[in-house]
Amino acid sequence: MSESKQRWRIVFARDDDARFLSHLDAVHLWERAFRRGELPVATSGGFSPRPRLVFAAPLPLGMLAEHELADLFLSERLTRLDLRVRLAEGMPRGYRLIDLHDEWVGSPAVATQLVAADYRMTLLGVARERLEGAVRSLLAATELRREKRREKKVTAYDLRPLLLDLQARPRDAAAGATESPDLAAAGLWMRLRNSQDLGSGRADEVVEAIAAELGLSTSNPPWSAEAEAEDAAEPGPPVEPSSVQPGLEIVRPVRERLWLSDELAL
Amino acid sequence: MTTILPADPSPPSLDRSGPCYAPPPLPSLAVERALGRVRKPGRYAGGEWNSVQKDWGLVALKWCFVYPDLYEIGMSNLGLRILYEVLNDRPDRLAERCFAPDVDLQGQLRSARLPLWSLETRRDVRAFDVLGVSLGYELTYTNLLDMLDLAGMPVTTADRTEADPLVIAGGSSVLNPEPIADCLDAVLLGEGEEAVIEISDTLEQIGWHRRLGPTGEWLRGVSRADALLALARIPGVYVPSLYRPQYNPDGTFARLEPLVSEAPPQITGRIAADFETTVHAIRQLVPNIAIVFDRAQLEVMRGCTRGCRFCQAGMHYRPLRERAPDVAIAAAQSILNATGYEEIGLTSLSTADYTYVNEVATALHRLRPQASVSLPSTRVDAFTVDLVDAIVPSGRRGGFTFAPEAGSQRLRDVINKGVSDEEIARCAELAFRRGWSALKFYFMIGLPTETMDDVLAIGDICRRVLEVGRRYHGSKAQVKANVSTFVPKVATPFMWSGQDTTAEIEAKVSALRQTMHGRGLDLRWTEPRSSIIEAALGRGDRRLNPVVRRAWRKGARFDAWDEHFSFQLWLEAFEEEGLDPAWYAQRDIPLDEALPWDHLSCGVTREFLARDYGLALSGKTVADCHWGPCFNCGVPTATGFECRTGEQGPRRLLVRPEAAEAEPGDGVAAEESSSRWRYVGPPGDPRRQGSVGRAAAGTATGGVPDDAAVADSGDNAEDTAMAWPSNLLGTKVQSKNAGLSGLASLVDAAGGESTG
Repeated sequence: MSESKQRWRIVFARDDDARFLSHLDAVHLWERAFRRGELPVATSGGFSPRPRLVFAAPLPLGMLAEHELADLFLSERLTRLDLRVRLAEGMPRGYRLIDLHDEWVGSPAVATQLVAADYRMTLLGVARERLEGAVRSLLAATELRREKRREKKVTAYDLRPLLLDLQARPRDAAAGATESPDLAAAGLWMRLRNSQDLGSGRADEVVEAIAAELGLSTSNPPWSAEAEAEDAAEPGPPVEPSSVQPGLEIVRPVRERLWLSDELAL
Repeated sequence: MTTILPADPSPPSLDRSGPCYAPPPLPSLAVERALGRVRKPGRYAGGEWNSVQKDWGLVALKWCFVYPDLYEIGMSNLGLRILYEVLNDRPDRLAERCFAPDVDLQGQLRSARLPLWSLETRRDVRAFDVLGVSLGYELTYTNLLDMLDLAGMPVTTADRTEADPLVIAGGSSVLNPEPIADCLDAVLLGEGEEAVIEISDTLEQIGWHRRLGPTGEWLRGVSRADALLALARIPGVYVPSLYRPQYNPDGTFARLEPLVSEAPPQITGRIAADFETTVHAIRQLVPNIAIVFDRAQLEVMRGCTRGCRFCQAGMHYRPLRERAPDVAIAAAQSILNATGYEEIGLTSLSTADYTYVNEVATALHRLRPQASVSLPSTRVDAFTVDLVDAIVPSGRRGGFTFAPEAGSQRLRDVINKGVSDEEIARCAELAFRRGWSALKFYFMIGLPTETMDDVLAIGDICRRVLEVGRRYHGSKAQVKANVSTFVPKVATPFMWSGQDTTAEIEAKVSALRQTMHGRGLDLRWTEPRSSIIEAALGRGDRRLNPVVRRAWRKGARFDAWDEHFSFQLWLEAFEEEGLDPAWYAQRDIPLDEALPWDHLSCGVTREFLARDYGLALSGKTVADCHWGPCFNCGVPTATGFECRTGEQGPRRLLVRPEAAEAEPGDGVAAEESSSRWRYVGPPGDPRRQGSVGRAAAGTATGGVPDDAAVADSGDNAEDTAMAWPSNLLGTKVQSKNAGLSGLASLVDAAGGESTG
């Protein structure tokens, strides 16, 4: 274990090139980037020391991002310029550096300060007017009983208190609006709560609730909880192609930003 | 099978950036939706570190490397990393990649009518000019057919038009490509570093790339037939469609007739120059998702002269060449810097035989203490144990792997794996004493002349070793035996030898199983039925072309994976073509019979192989010609490449001590100005100790060390596509029946000894 002399909060975005990384893959990617840039990263203690890089929230596989947060602990102090240059040298493809903040080394872990996250995405298989109806009824509900699947365990919970805001919007131009304008599609934006007691809201579970409201199925994108659980079962035999059922399909999900407790009053 | 066209057949447009053909990438929404429905979409997304995206408008001739297995396997292949860099280093060349889609994506592509795309720019694979196919393993042939079909191309050369790319195969299975000869436009034998450049230069000169015609269409400047004739004139290139096979009335192969004067009767594989001093794969591709061998690789040695008689790679990649140690050290550091990996594998067919392995490993340990070095080799001797002991940190000692290959001393002499029972026991004891508690052994069943006693001897060794282990580790000691089925490989002394029948193999395995139970003993064996297909395809002729197609149409895919392999389906395919897989796999071929692959070689002559087979049958071993006498394998005569080992001449590889310690340049430091060089000879050579005294030998010829001057007759880097089995598993060519338990077993098999 090496002593941490400095803590930099890295604000970054993730584009297409790095989109299909799982959180674990992403961690390895960053570690290689630090080695390429020869950064003096502080290491954790223990049997196999790891670079001290702490993310505010894991970014699900398949999701793009515009304002993610991670704290990097260094064993030597660097100037902002020096850090920027060295990061740029090995910066993984598909990640963009947005900003750097020099944080106090002793402040609480960034993940504990996280209170909310904003998401936007395009939904195929539903027109905007219809989506607006579903959004209204979800927001009007006082309780949304849903089931959460983690591996084989199913737990019932209330989604409503995690849902801070939900809006139907025009479809995202980036999501192929020009390629196939004939598809029924609409944009969706949401702000989900992240709380120590209630857990964190998941965008795919909100979409499932919308689908249930509309009487549609969902297509289980790679970043959903279910797909993740399946992925964790690696290595196993490849699965047979699933028949594509009509339903809601999520395209280009983006996490717009993460909110920390001093940035957003709830 | 229906041909699949791009969902959006919009006419290719002239890219603003340049005059060359640049069709639009696939529609991103369609790709995204397909990826949204499959497992591990990161396999198909590209964007890896050190991957190269070039502007299509500026490059005339475009290559796509097509690897007929999953991303995790293909990305581990060093041959791919090398050739990718060789082509992309040229500003006027472009190479992208495409791996076999898993069955879930295959389904998505077919139902969405999407073509297969390249990872770098997501373009239709059919839009490329050349597809460089890696043929490393017979059981990936159906994947290749499927990939061509998914790309919207006819699977046979006869049906292809000028719109389709040329399909050029390389790799270790190409010593007998006849079973899929009708799918391959051309085959490159041997090593690819220089040949890919020659091939692409030739194709650009004759105008195979697309150009804008007067009518606004993109047309090739030369017909497919003329392009094939031009390829046939390149040394080492075999164009199957320019030959016709003849068979005898009894069904045996008679001869292959060249149909045109351009088709040479005999084709010898390429050997690339300057292996000793030039390293091509420096900016190695770094995958985003975990792959089988997720580490940097430095090939320290090419070829192997141990002469194990079952081993195809050992015969294929002769002569033996070793990287100069200072080059290796500098290259290893450059690779680590360029990739960000913290682990580097020193790869070769038998890394413990690399003369400078100690120097290189020690220097790396000193220069990069935080990086770990792994040695994927399984030689059974004390030196290996000491070496691995010095390299692997004591915390990571899970399993140690040895490959004695046969249970009895007699049979090990037959296969020329010269190691005694005592030596095995001694090594095992050493490994146990140094802290490893689990040992893993690789064996083969069904080797020529094998009797039940030889098989049961496997159990004897394992029990004996376990007893030793108990003394050090008590009940924690473990011995695992991995038993695979012997597959006769072409271009080896055993190519004439028939495989055991499945019944024989099963009887042997079950007899062995009865002796191998109890605490701490573990026996695993591979599916023997896929070995029949592997052997039949390996020793097959062109009559198998329709069999492979039929099996693929029936749904054969990923035959190397047990969960996909269907023996029944292959049997039906053979039967419907009136052929018998046993005839191909299990027949002892008479030594005077003509062989379907006689026209192809990598230098080792048929006479040498036959002589060695005779020695094998009488239980005589031959020594490693690295330091010993020459056995006239024929490589120098056939290839014009001088052996620099053994009695062929004193070794002229030298070390420059300063260079070894100095800051690494970029991989090619050695031939710059030389000052004082130190001779490094065989172990025990007195000159090895004297450091500077002998240096004059190297510098006498001028500023450049002698070895560099000699080296231009042949270097080379990995061949196009060393098969993943031989490449990844070191000497364990037989054990790569990957399917067994999936990726995990592969990782285990190859990296087990050094990574725990």
